[in-house]
Amino acid sequence: MSIKVALWAALAVAVGVAAATSAQAQSSAKPSPLVTGEWLEKNLSAPKVRVIEVSVEPGVFERGHIPGAQNIVWHTDLVDTVRRDIASRDKFEALSRKLGLEKDTTVVLYGDNNNWFAAWGAWIFKSYGFADVRLLDGGRKKWEADKRPFDTRVAAVEPSKITLPEANTKLRARLGDVSDVVNKKADAVVVDIRSPDEFSGKLFAPAGSQELAVRAGHVPGAVNVPWVRAVAEDGTIKSVDELKKLYAAAGIDGTKPIIVYCRIGERSSHTWFVLSQVLGYDVRNYDGSWTEYGNTVGLPVVNVAGTVWGGK
Amino acid sequence: MTTLQSETGAHIGAPLRFVFAAALVLALGVAAYGLHAGGKAPLALSLLFGAAFGIVLQRARFCFFCNFRDWFDAGDPRGLLGIVVALAVGLIGYTLVFGSWLPDSSTGRLPPDAFIGPVGIALVAAGLVFGAGMAISGSCVSAHLYRLGEGSPTAPFALIGTAFGFVLGFLTWNGIYLSFVSDAPSIWLPQSLGYAGALLLALGALAVIAWIVVRLSRPQAEAARASDPWRAVFVERWPAWIGGAMVGVLGTMAYLRVGPLGVTAEIGGRARQAANALNVVPARLEGLDTLRGCITVVRDVLLTNNGVFIGALMVAAFAAALVAGQFRPAWPTGGQILRGLTGGVLLGWGAMTGLGCTVGTFLSGTMAGALSGWVYGAAIFAGTAATLVVGRRLGALPKP
Repeated sequence: MSIKVALWAALAVAVGVAAATSAQAQSSAKPSPLVTGEWLEKNLSAPKVRVIEVSVEPGVFERGHIPGAQNIVWHTDLVDTVRRDIASRDKFEALSRKLGLEKDTTVVLYGDNNNWFAAWGAWIFKSYGFADVRLLDGGRKKWEADKRPFDTRVAAVEPSKITLPEANTKLRARLGDVSDVVNKKADAVVVDIRSPDEFSGKLFAPAGSQELAVRAGHVPGAVNVPWVRAVAEDGTIKSVDELKKLYAAAGIDGTKPIIVYCRIGERSSHTWFVLSQVLGYDVRNYDGSWTEYGNTVGLPVVNVAGTVWGGK
Repeated sequence: MTTLQSETGAHIGAPLRFVFAAALVLALGVAAYGLHAGGKAPLALSLLFGAAFGIVLQRARFCFFCNFRDWFDAGDPRGLLGIVVALAVGLIGYTLVFGSWLPDSSTGRLPPDAFIGPVGIALVAAGLVFGAGMAISGSCVSAHLYRLGEGSPTAPFALIGTAFGFVLGFLTWNGIYLSFVSDAPSIWLPQSLGYAGALLLALGALAVIAWIVVRLSRPQAEAARASDPWRAVFVERWPAWIGGAMVGVLGTMAYLRVGPLGVTAEIGGRARQAANALNVVPARLEGLDTLRGCITVVRDVLLTNNGVFIGALMVAAFAAALVAGQFRPAWPTGGQILRGLTGGVLLGWGAMTGLGCTVGTFLSGTMAGALSGWVYGAAIFAGTAATLVVGRRLGALPKP
């Protein structure tokens, strides 16, 4: 046993340790798609971080928002207001420029109503190629409950010159994709994230919803995991382990592609975010959802409750 | 002492009245505190705003109809000038808030929640009918609410009539919407004139109105004001312009924190809930979700912002009336019942079709720079004047 051998051994150990730590550093460097209020409050003035509110209740943003946050109006900014579709590339590019976003901006979205519309926003941002899109865990409600500050001033932002690619169609399912799965021409798990009563066909839609389908029930073969089950009491999204267990119990483990849907595609964005961004599964959001599928002539429907439209 | 009692018309002794009023105010405070502690800050604020509004309305007698009638019949301009002050102060306040929320007024967006309604034939018709309802029932909706706290014999019937009027409004809404409202433009003056231009134009118009009102008034015998501050604040009527300034400030604060002032959303909402349960009105009222104003939505919760607002308004007005010795409950006469009910029905139909009353569409709308506020206000006072003239000629309304 010479000194040489001992030195070689020491060197080998050192290299091994260094490699291990750097690998660890790399894996922990992959940012979580969810940010805490504490992190956000510390990073509010970070130059690459832009905070965007997407709330459904009008006036909520104006009466107090996270300092420096900018506002997106779901009904007009993120959709085509005439045709039923997501905002076009040109429209979303103009909005992104106005918001001063660059390709490497960390976009942090939050909103009221359990981040439903913020999650819809995250889906659109991801579709148009933004790499780092995150949600404020717990949304407005948790920020407020944690007694963090709000502000009413307007953020002064320099417009950017960003150009966006066409929307990534791999994040979006269309009617044909869903009917292919139903007709066994394609293999995917279809997840219906509506309430059990909508899933079974007892209800056409939650009370007060204007947009309806004239058929009740669900897509044949779909599994029902209501979106709210991914959420803890305080509105934050459950831990990765809990989520894995929850979805695995319904047969969703990421081995097959997933399609999520709800009534109009906004609650399903929430589940899309959880499954694709938090768990890393291959998920498409079917934004046509039940108001498209359930209204389409001739497609098979499972209606356990047997509710008949307009019938007595 | 007996003369003072009969003079104020109080049936109960002064100390008891004060204790009762203090208990009511305390109860409102405790309720607001409880709501706030329960995480319901908007409800707590609505309650406090409602209480403040009730006290100001009662103390300043801020009643759109009485203020107009004082001038129309007796040439007393003070009440109407109070309304002008309220609008001027509110316009300035709203403009300040708008500048922060929507720095560029020309983007095509409207400021959130502000009562900027469609301007068209339906709005004019609603204003005329609402004005007629004011003349017949003797008050607008907000004044009936505070008068309820004064023990008015007409107010309960007028408010019941208002609820029925809302149901009539639901029945006629879909036809009116499709023919006259869906194409009517919602015109927000700052959008084309800018904030400064719209504000200057509005203040100029208010100055012209004030000048006309004063020109057409008659000299008033100046009532001796009490030098005792207690009487000046708690017993005597506040000068109308002070009441007006307070309404303007209150309107701005309410808009900043909760939403524009309005008193009919809850009445309409509850009427719709009841009418839906009885299956007498269409379940769908077309286009309502796209319009601004005191929009009637079906209520499915116990407490709403507008509900606690008008509840607190009535309670606080009652407390203020008690202290002032102005709580004078009386049994209604047949005429009061009839006029309350018929006037109320007209108020309700007008408030439904015009998407608000004198407080919502007229006051809050005008403060917000909405053309609909000005048009509705003009139609209301025209309707009131015409109804007073015709009604008196026919002997259906009491002469001054």
